[in-house]
Amino acid sequence: MLKTAAQEQLLPGDTLQAKWEFAQEAGYDAIELRGKGDQHFASRLDELRQAHKDGVVMPTVCVDMLHFFGAFDTDLRRDAIDQMKSQLTVIAEIGGRGAQTPASYGMFSRRLPPFEPPRSEAEDRDVLLTGLAELGEHARKEGVTLFLEPLNRYEDHMVNRLEQAADLIRATGLDSIRIGIDSYHMNIEEADPAAAILAHADLIGHAQVSDSNRFQPGAGHLDWPAWLGALHTIGYDGHLALECRLTGDPVEAVRSVPAFLKRSGA
Amino acid sequence: MKSLLDRPAPTDAAALTLRRGAARVLIDNWTGTSTVPSRTLYPHQWSWDSAFIAIGLRHLSARRAQRELESLLAGQWADGRIPHIVFNPALPYDAYFPSPDFWRSSAAGRSAGAPAAAETSGIVQPPVHALAAWLVHRADPAESRRRSFLHRVVPRLSAWHNYLLARRDLGGAGLAAVVHPWEPGMDNSPCWDEALRRIEPAPRDAFQRADLDHGHPADRPTDLDYGRYVRLAADYRDAGYDDGAARFDFAVEDPCFNALLIVSERALAAMARETGADATVHTARAEALTRRLVARLWDERAGIFRARDVTTDALVEERSVSGLVPLLVPDLPPHIVDRLLDTLTGPSFTAPATGLAPSYDLRGHAFDAHRYWRGPAWFNTAWLIHQGLRTHALDAQAAALRSAFVTEAGATGFAEYVDPATGRPRGARHFSWTAALTLDLLCAEFEEPTP
Repeated sequence: MLKTAAQEQLLPGDTLQAKWEFAQEAGYDAIELRGKGDQHFASRLDELRQAHKDGVVMPTVCVDMLHFFGAFDTDLRRDAIDQMKSQLTVIAEIGGRGAQTPASYGMFSRRLPPFEPPRSEAEDRDVLLTGLAELGEHARKEGVTLFLEPLNRYEDHMVNRLEQAADLIRATGLDSIRIGIDSYHMNIEEADPAAAILAHADLIGHAQVSDSNRFQPGAGHLDWPAWLGALHTIGYDGHLALECRLTGDPVEAVRSVPAFLKRSGA
Repeated sequence: MKSLLDRPAPTDAAALTLRRGAARVLIDNWTGTSTVPSRTLYPHQWSWDSAFIAIGLRHLSARRAQRELESLLAGQWADGRIPHIVFNPALPYDAYFPSPDFWRSSAAGRSAGAPAAAETSGIVQPPVHALAAWLVHRADPAESRRRSFLHRVVPRLSAWHNYLLARRDLGGAGLAAVVHPWEPGMDNSPCWDEALRRIEPAPRDAFQRADLDHGHPADRPTDLDYGRYVRLAADYRDAGYDDGAARFDFAVEDPCFNALLIVSERALAAMARETGADATVHTARAEALTRRLVARLWDERAGIFRARDVTTDALVEERSVSGLVPLLVPDLPPHIVDRLLDTLTGPSFTAPATGLAPSYDLRGHAFDAHRYWRGPAWFNTAWLIHQGLRTHALDAQAAALRSAFVTEAGATGFAEYVDPATGRPRGARHFSWTAALTLDLLCAEFEEPTP
């Protein structure tokens, strides 16, 4: 049985405790936090500690910013790395497993004009490896994991497929970096999502779920049994964290997911 | 096998570990539209392999299982035949022999209705497909209905059975005959030896075998047999695959083939009921076929079903696992069920090192523990016998066979077949139908009677 989590902004309720109550009733096993910039996530430490004390299960945080460690701009890159390090520290303090980030999001797409990014592929790789080395080392010290998330080609031009993330992670030589897979992006980028999961089994650390149309699982046309079956096959023991848009009544949509995933083989 | 089952984290429950290993084989061998039987030995799509694979794949992904059958049926001929191989056009011709340029289906089979685009073989394999379609439908009826699975496959499966009953009733008694040793799926069974002796082999330099590139010669059919296979296939091809015009030097009514036709007719009846269509034609056919199977192929003295050589109109005096598979048929007379069970559990089919029935009589004159269908124990026939035991409520025997099946499948790395004397794996490893049928035995929790 695979465990499920819902990102906090999807859950009704004013406090993490109230959200957790709803989540449990709906069949979730955890909440995935969202980490905003400007040290906002660190400023929530008291709230998070209290929630942890009250039994809220919060294994992971997913970054919620507009610049990332692969940014073209040096200052933005520096800030993104500092923010991620802080988020890794905070998630460690509340007993979590790790923090997820893409290389970039919304910065450049080779599929959209002007098609050629301002930085070469070799420079991209240097920037990503430098950032990953610093973040991975920090994660290692904190005893948590950095999850690198491949995004689809329209959202990021550097890391789209699991094999690209795996290649970068292997190059760092750090056990504290793993791939954070996302069913929606994989559906666009992987020739065979289930086979990709098997091929990179040893490096998969986290999984986020949404359907083919970015809505909640069950609202699109992904072959969930095959995707979840592959995760079972590799002995994945993390959570399936719901990160999606919602269609239909939002509360009912969120409520429907654990049962849907279970029916689909989770 | 160790790496397959242990990565990335070992688990405590053996069944769970085995289930993961089986699923891994099926994911690895999936090509996007179908599953290759083996990445090394069999790189195209095989007819009865796909049916057995779909039966297990339904537990991993009902959609993939449906696709497996749909992609095979896309290679169906207009006369209804489902070819035994649908070739992957992306592979070079020398990836397998006989290759597309041997069969020349789109040219030589044009008047028989071979597809213009897909290249296929021109012969068939046992009709497990309707049974598989029914089981695939049952695994996820909602997904099946959403994709109109039954509405799309049932007319094709009916046409397939019509072909077998109309064009292949070569004995004139209402059973389907096979016209090549590859058609019953048990290529080099001793059951075909006598009929094959009448065939002039193709010269050894007229063909280049590909099965020996990956398979061990001692595990595979001999060159002499292969020359006869080539001769029969070439003659059929040169007659335009026209069952009315071809002169069949080899024609046999096989018990496994016809038993599967019976069960598949029953599956068509079940699918007809599901879609609101008339089931009576299929029910009536199944009943008539059952009567003919018993009348023509049952050997009361030997306690086993025999193949009938249509050319000589005589039963073939060999005992093979094919003769035990009719246990699948629900309406068998009870005394035949009893006799079959005696034979199955008797000295001819109780092997020292495997719980699976060997493909050929352990005490038979032609027994060979290594060579393909002349002795080795196969997992697909074991699955069919298991279903047969359950059909007749022989639950203790079914449970013992199930246990042996899953244990040996795991221990042999999902081998193609097993040496009955030593239990050692033979042929391909990570073999798709072995993994698929293991998954089925591990996952089919609901009470699922033979249709």
